[in-house]
Amino acid sequence: MDLSLESAEKPVSFAKETGVITVGQYVLIKLPSKGLKIVETRSDGVINLGKFGSFEVNGILGFPFGQSFEISADKKVSPVKSLVFELEEEELENMDQETSRESTPILELMKNSSETNRDIIDIGSKIQGITSEEIELFKKQNNDNGEILISKIIESHKGFNKKTKYSQEKYITRKQQKFMKKFTVEYLSSSNLLKYYEEKDLSKILNLSEETLGLMLNLLDIRPGGKYFVVDETGGLILYAMMERMKGEGLIVVGHENEHPNFNLLQYSNYTESAINSMIKPINWLQFFEPENEKLIFNEQTKEAIEELRPQKKLQYYRRQKRIIEINKTIDFVTGKDSQFDGLLYCSTIYPTTLIPNIITKIKGSRPIVVYNQYKEILVELQHLLSKNLNVLAPSIMETRARPYQTIPGRIHPLMSMRGGGGYLLWGTRVYPKEGGVIAVGRGFVRRNERKKQKLEKEEDNDDNNKNN
Amino acid sequence: MSAFLEYKEVIGEGDFVLAFIGRDNIKPIIVKKDDILNTRYGAFAHNSMIGEKYGSQITSLKGYGFIHLLHPTPELWTLSLPHRTQIVYTPDSSYIIQRLNITAGSRVIEAGTGSGSFTHSFARTLSKTGQLFTYEFHESRYQQAKAEFELHSLTNVIATCRDVCKKGFVIDGYESGCDADSIFLDLPSPWEAIAHLPQVISKSKRVGICCFSPCIEQVIKTAEALKNHGWSNIEMVEIAGRKWEARKEMIRDVSDVIGRLKDIKRRKEEGIEIRDKLQNQNQNQKVGEKRGNEDSNEKEQFVKKTRIEREEKGFNPFGKGLRIKEGDEAYNWKDISEPETEVKSHTSYLTFAFKNAPTKPIVNHQS
Repeated sequence: MDLSLESAEKPVSFAKETGVITVGQYVLIKLPSKGLKIVETRSDGVINLGKFGSFEVNGILGFPFGQSFEISADKKVSPVKSLVFELEEEELENMDQETSRESTPILELMKNSSETNRDIIDIGSKIQGITSEEIELFKKQNNDNGEILISKIIESHKGFNKKTKYSQEKYITRKQQKFMKKFTVEYLSSSNLLKYYEEKDLSKILNLSEETLGLMLNLLDIRPGGKYFVVDETGGLILYAMMERMKGEGLIVVGHENEHPNFNLLQYSNYTESAINSMIKPINWLQFFEPENEKLIFNEQTKEAIEELRPQKKLQYYRRQKRIIEINKTIDFVTGKDSQFDGLLYCSTIYPTTLIPNIITKIKGSRPIVVYNQYKEILVELQHLLSKNLNVLAPSIMETRARPYQTIPGRIHPLMSMRGGGGYLLWGTRVYPKEGGVIAVGRGFVRRNERKKQKLEKEEDNDDNNKNN
Repeated sequence: MSAFLEYKEVIGEGDFVLAFIGRDNIKPIIVKKDDILNTRYGAFAHNSMIGEKYGSQITSLKGYGFIHLLHPTPELWTLSLPHRTQIVYTPDSSYIIQRLNITAGSRVIEAGTGSGSFTHSFARTLSKTGQLFTYEFHESRYQQAKAEFELHSLTNVIATCRDVCKKGFVIDGYESGCDADSIFLDLPSPWEAIAHLPQVISKSKRVGICCFSPCIEQVIKTAEALKNHGWSNIEMVEIAGRKWEARKEMIRDVSDVIGRLKDIKRRKEEGIEIRDKLQNQNQNQKVGEKRGNEDSNEKEQFVKKTRIEREEKGFNPFGKGLRIKEGDEAYNWKDISEPETEVKSHTSYLTFAFKNAPTKPIVNHQS
């Protein structure tokens, strides 16, 4: 029987356009407010960014990813340097002198500033001479132009000149985040998809952080052409990250707990359905544990009978046949006697201590075992269990956290807050214990050796070496 | 064939094996007929490795002591390689690869090569379809690294001996650039190298850079240079990698503590009783010298009894004075995680930035 699961027909093109914004793909939109949005670039489509305005998709096509745009009144866009108007360091320094540089209304307003904040008296909202109703009216009168509006707001701010330059800059940035009709288009990488869910619904991706995702993928030693057994309860985020690294070569068998697997995040991946189906093969736990009962039977019809079917029914027949063959092949491949996989990545809320020992035997020798969990306690229990399992070498628990900094030369410091959590990883290596057991060498070896010369007592024998493992 | 680019299942002569002797003792070897690997757990014949599967456990020539034969991975290599410089550890390297979105097919520039730890990790991830350009200005370090990459068949790595800060990145055969989409600079003064990058980076893709520097002063200069050369989204982060081991801590219940104190008190009182009794006897003996052997037997028995009790140690709920194995089923335990005794509290600062490809003319928003 042919156990090979790799499709004979490779998908036509697996490579995605990662350099230039093209039609018909999902992209990440960054808003001045730091909000994120995933949108599809439909030809001739219009994308609505709420209070930041709407724009025509055609206007952004062909630009490189990372490009920022400003929306004008007629839903057209023009490329701009950055999302928020950043002040160059020299501009700040030279502002007091008369410079020949082109000045903007905002820069003009910043010419008067204070050395310190000593003159600032907190009088609350009264400091702003313009009301929100007046702002709305002003917006309408000026075609919703963000820059003119911000100038107006600054002009009406009674204490603006008493602020320091840095404080003025911060104030302007805040106003820009609120009123500028700008956005940046980013390539929807696995990291960007993760960042989107970080804001939207962290529990959906099991609190996974970018740094933990990176560490897990490296520890799994992902290579194009590898075959991996994966349990991904993040809805497909991990699968997407793996597919990106493997670039269409190899196989990912996914263990799941439902009748049909849930990879709904993969819809954003820009990989075609056939590309996804050629790489990712699902198997549920019932099929995994009771393969003989769960293999599907296909009632093959005679050629004549098939020919007599209506075209619709014929198509259905072949589709069903293909699906059943595929499922049975996956079941045979996974539940066969041989170890088949180049690594195990387990990211699930199913209690790992009950399930992992059953999957380990499917993994080839000297291949990584990586288990993710939000909670260290779960992994502590698993490490205790695996330390006694001779099929796993040197399991240990790892944690990684990225601490972001405000990175402005002269004002560098760690950000005042960062996200907590990010999960933990257990990393070990699948090994083949020597049949019949081994005698370990270590402390007390000579004494023990004399005491019971040839006696092979597995438990005690593995004691010392295991301490080193 | 490179063990870092392709998987192998069975060990043959000439194959690269990482001999796992202990957690802090992984020895890289090339399997050669009739060679012997000597370790503190015994001598292991290379002949006994040939034909075994990667991941197998083998015993020493004497039949006891064992090691595991592991397939090379960049992560295990990082734990076993000969250090010629400070190396980039896995929590840092894995984050950089993820954040710069390095995948199969990526084209990456690395300067300097150092001990080649990160080089292996890059080479594995960008795979046979990608290309890594690595630069090292220290001549003998370059020679060692180059020899190592050849031994490990890292065919997707081009190593160059060059001070990139002074001479830039352009090399023979790539005069029109490396078309690199990701840059990693682990140099004493990365700001000097940044000026040379436009010649070699991709003209059609967004390019990401990570500068790896231990000092904050370097970060300041780097951030300024990046800004001046048109890089945006400049952000520095620090990675803290931690390791934990699952252990068990005995649950010592206060009711048992009280029980033990009571037991000690009880035995102490018993001891006093016995002592008083013995003293009385002694005095009686002195008074009537001729009480005879009967009494002396009684006395011996008392002494014996107290000694036995002392050896039993009475109520001993926590195994005091005994050698208790962690997790011994006679006691109660709580699963806990233990941190390393020493952690890497600072590896380096990671300064990231990105540069957009100029495929369409970019107009200033103010014009």
